[in-house]
Amino acid sequence: MKGKVVKNQQLNDKYFFLEIKSEEFVTQAHVGQFLMIKPGSQDYTHDPLLRRPLGIADVKDGKFSLVYMVVGKGTKLLSEFHEGGMIEFSAPLGNRFTLLENKRVALVAGGIGIAPVFWLAKTLKTRGCVVDLYYGGRTVDDVVLLEELKENTDHLIVTTDDGSAGIKGYVTLPFKENVETYDMVYTCGPKPMLQTVSEICINADVPVEVSLDERMACGLGACLGCIIYVREGDEIVQKRCCVEGPVFDGSKIAWDKLI
Amino acid sequence: MSDRLKTVFCGIEFKNPIITASGTFGYGLEYAKHIDISRLGGISVKGISLRETVGNPMPRIMETTSGMLNAIGLQNVGVYKFINEKLPELRKHDTKIIVNFWGKTIDEYVEVARILDDADVDMLEMNISCPNIKEGGIAFGTDPKMTYEITYNVKKALKNKPLMVKLSPNVTNIKVYAKACEQAGADAISAINTLLGMSVNIHTKKPNLYNVTGGLSGPAIKPVAIRMVHEAFRTVKIPIMGIGGIIDWRDVVEFGLVGASAVQVGTANFIDPEIPLRIIDDLDKYMADNNISNFSELTGKVDLTR
Repeated sequence: MKGKVVKNQQLNDKYFFLEIKSEEFVTQAHVGQFLMIKPGSQDYTHDPLLRRPLGIADVKDGKFSLVYMVVGKGTKLLSEFHEGGMIEFSAPLGNRFTLLENKRVALVAGGIGIAPVFWLAKTLKTRGCVVDLYYGGRTVDDVVLLEELKENTDHLIVTTDDGSAGIKGYVTLPFKENVETYDMVYTCGPKPMLQTVSEICINADVPVEVSLDERMACGLGACLGCIIYVREGDEIVQKRCCVEGPVFDGSKIAWDKLI
Repeated sequence: MSDRLKTVFCGIEFKNPIITASGTFGYGLEYAKHIDISRLGGISVKGISLRETVGNPMPRIMETTSGMLNAIGLQNVGVYKFINEKLPELRKHDTKIIVNFWGKTIDEYVEVARILDDADVDMLEMNISCPNIKEGGIAFGTDPKMTYEITYNVKKALKNKPLMVKLSPNVTNIKVYAKACEQAGADAISAINTLLGMSVNIHTKKPNLYNVTGGLSGPAIKPVAIRMVHEAFRTVKIPIMGIGGIIDWRDVVEFGLVGASAVQVGTANFIDPEIPLRIIDDLDKYMADNNISNFSELTGKVDLTR
């Protein structure tokens, strides 16, 4: 698929907000899905070679949004797209979050994990849920789109490791205090945080869905580069993050087998 | 599509000379959701072994300059599950099916080959060149005597299907291996498999792959593959399927010129599943524009005069 870049806005030193127009993509997309996006615009260069997996951060008015962090060659090239430029990407890929109605839910996001959580928060709000978002980052530069998030949640609790924004400390601490009040928890971010959130939920007997991020070559289930280990009964089985995920039941993941 | 793309390889008629490479196209079914796989000349499925194999721990892949390293470790469902569950679904699509296979011992290779020989597949591709597992694979592909022995034994066991041997580029002289395959009775060779490589994360000082080393693929390896197909073509008479970094029709023509009778598209499938189909269309146009009525007219036509 191809779409037109509507906006590629730098949010701070690390983060960008990319908005792309594509009716074709938008009509197929579901909350929790991701896409593989071609980081460059040239057809005659093959470096970087692979497309980049990014979570869909929002969908509205025939446009979809992505939030990304510039970490290497691919995301640097992505940041150089100008408004009006054409960009190539796959169809929406992977499974989706379970969307509840009229329930109390907590969303726990860490750093760039905010991407799929943003659209999830908006969607759950429109379905009558009470949505509390716990959003943590290392510093003030790792918590973005706070105004928009405040509008689309009932409570927004921000934490940073160094206290440069919100409460100082890990995001899992304030979340843990309230976990029992929720019907469902959704989380996306670094794996140690996802594991802690999942353990808190298991102890409180609250269901938890985690969105995982892995290196991927194809995003289609063929390369077998994005294996996740999940417990099924007494067995640990392999799942492909791209097709059986990226959303998994947090209580079933064999965290010690992941990297 | 016109007849000009029709390609006969080992007596089998392919719709076109574009086959998707083993390890990059799953069992074909993963891609059937995204593209019309019946347009492909053929599919070489993920390397099959006697028993199900779980593969290596993560991380298994790493992007490199114009290429990627992988150490998947030949994860597959095993030959019986492949035949019973995957093959009937795959057969619903009108394309040729090549089954890539491997084993840990010669006896295992022979056993898998025998089972596949009686299955509804078109051709066998023997993998003696995977760099990512300890046993089998590359151990047979980097010793000419072993290459001969395993090819001879597997060929002897086959009654119905042609045998293509996939060669390793991780050797000093590929001609010796091509010759060993031909003398042992192989019907064709495919070249090349991945080049053994490694990359390190300078911040953690750890290798980027759990397996430490992995197989390099993608456009980065194409010149090596072109050279090796060129050398093999000038050494043996059996047909060659060219593999290594193909991303567009120009690459296919280049492989043809140095001696490939057909080609496999690999890593490009990961980038965009439409690529092999685009190559088929573009190659057709190139052949029409240049009055080439069959891909074989290109095979080995590199002009070495100076």
